[in-house]
Amino acid sequence: MLLQVRNLSCGYGSLEVVHGASLHVCHGEIVGLLGANGAGKSSLLKAIIGLLPPWAGEVFIDRRPTTGQPPWRSVSNSTVLVPEGKMIFADMTVRENLIIGGYHNPDRIRHLETVLDGFPRLRERLQQVAGTLSGGEQQMLALGRALMARPRLLLLDEPSMGLAPLMVKEVFTSIRKMKDLGLTVLLIEQNANAALRIADRAYVMETGEIVLEGPAADLAHNPEVKRAYLGKG
Amino acid sequence: MSTFDRRYEQISRSELEQMQLERLQALLARLRRNVRRYREKLGDFRLQSLADLPRLPFTTQEDMVESFPYGMFAFPLREVIRLHSTLGPGGKPLVIGHTRNDLALWSRLVARQLSASGVTANDVILISLGGLTQSGAVGYVRGAELIEASVIAEDPLHIDYQLAMLQNYRPTTLITTPTNALDLIRAIEQRRVDPQSLYLRTVLLSRPVDRETREQIASGLFAAVRCNFGLGEILDPGLCVECEVGLFHIHEDQFLAEVCEGELVITTLAREAMPLLRYRTRVAAELCHDQCACGRTGVLFQPGPRLDHRHQVREISFYETQVAEVLAQTRAAGLRFHLTPSERQLQIALEISEDYFASAMWPADDPKRSIEAELLARLGLPAEVRYVEPRAGSGPAA
Repeated sequence: MLLQVRNLSCGYGSLEVVHGASLHVCHGEIVGLLGANGAGKSSLLKAIIGLLPPWAGEVFIDRRPTTGQPPWRSVSNSTVLVPEGKMIFADMTVRENLIIGGYHNPDRIRHLETVLDGFPRLRERLQQVAGTLSGGEQQMLALGRALMARPRLLLLDEPSMGLAPLMVKEVFTSIRKMKDLGLTVLLIEQNANAALRIADRAYVMETGEIVLEGPAADLAHNPEVKRAYLGKG
Repeated sequence: MSTFDRRYEQISRSELEQMQLERLQALLARLRRNVRRYREKLGDFRLQSLADLPRLPFTTQEDMVESFPYGMFAFPLREVIRLHSTLGPGGKPLVIGHTRNDLALWSRLVARQLSASGVTANDVILISLGGLTQSGAVGYVRGAELIEASVIAEDPLHIDYQLAMLQNYRPTTLITTPTNALDLIRAIEQRRVDPQSLYLRTVLLSRPVDRETREQIASGLFAAVRCNFGLGEILDPGLCVECEVGLFHIHEDQFLAEVCEGELVITTLAREAMPLLRYRTRVAAELCHDQCACGRTGVLFQPGPRLDHRHQVREISFYETQVAEVLAQTRAAGLRFHLTPSERQLQIALEISEDYFASAMWPADDPKRSIEAELLARLGLPAEVRYVEPRAGSGPAA
């Protein structure tokens, strides 16, 4: 198991929003974390990486306890978060954004080429100011920037948000390619259809609790998932 | 021999425990949301680790009887695409529902047993379980289809027809009950058929048998013998797998097994339609966490006798109360009786006094035959009734 989370609780102020969630991600897996808006998915992810202090529970990355450690240490643990809303540096060029992603990586210039091979569209726009990219391209940039840190575990928060359907397809194809490169991905998504298509396993979260876990193909046929997230039944 | 689902059958203990914790926590959340009976039992209890399991409430057969028919379902009936019935306490029926995913999972779990028994896509399977255990046959068909073995879609009840099918269709695997296997051996001997002329490689029995019976079937049908163990309320087949070493492993990725006061207690971790939390199975069992030479990591399990008054005669399960109910509606009403179930027949000893036949037209009016006929007609039980002198103090009254 690359990521192991046990009974993680977290919240804001006095409000607990994640109530003792447990999940795990094995090496080389894409695991989806599905749920409606406000279910606690992003908070759980933030607590895993240390952006939100956990109230209870444990996080292990590659068997080492990382509960409550500062987020910058996660990068040294080869865990990188691609936050919701991309959060690219809009005033900097595409190249600068990518180089910043590999800040702690002494080999970043050479690695830049490898990353650009996976995102040819970014190569065409290397000197363009990132804020002028389209939504889909900005998402690609956010993914590319994360890859510059040479992560083993990638935490993706709503990569399809606000993207046109064609772009969503392209972004998910890129995520699928990352798996082929040996990366492990925990993917938060509201677009259950797209997520279940590329994930190996998935969890479903409702009001701060994980209510379902299973192979993605099985969850796609679960009556509750079909009704609540896939718009069927 | 092979392992069908190596990812889960040989899962490491640490990963398994993490998975069980996650599934159990998710199960509790679902049960609280979807099943009123569990919502009341669970309150807002939150499980922190598997060590908290003993603090969770049990589910009993009585819970299922009280919720009959669909009160334990976690989904509306329209989502449940298969209904099975099984025998509950005192002969009352219990309903088990399955969603599409439940059935797909069932196939995978049965396929694990078939693979462990050496069945492959090259095998032809004859399933002879008899009409009364039809739901088991459905499970075996699903598992066999998953590993792409050829299934003969007939369940010949008549023993000669079975023998003819073994000779004509040349099945390599026979899935049957121990009683039927022994009947078949008797027929083979009587008709002077050489068992080696059949093509059987494997006989998979629907329930465990003692070593002597296993050897008798192995030599009588000239095939390797494997056994299965299942429970109608959980899955039968599909609860566990008998490995190449001859030991039962519970599918721990799907079922959490405990032994409480000598009784097997099962929690279904991923069942959708009708999850059961700490279900008291009324079956004695022993669990053992030793490592098995087969490589499977599921807990080793040795089933024992039933802990209730449920008996089995010719693979037909029944409770003593069911027999009492039938007897009460015959001329044995009010008489004390003693049951002695054997493999082939139920022996019923009726306690009578000398004046019992005083008003009857003996022997033309002997009620024995009518009682036996009644038991056969209503419970399907072959029975033999005997009269005995009243014994001091024992035996219930019909």
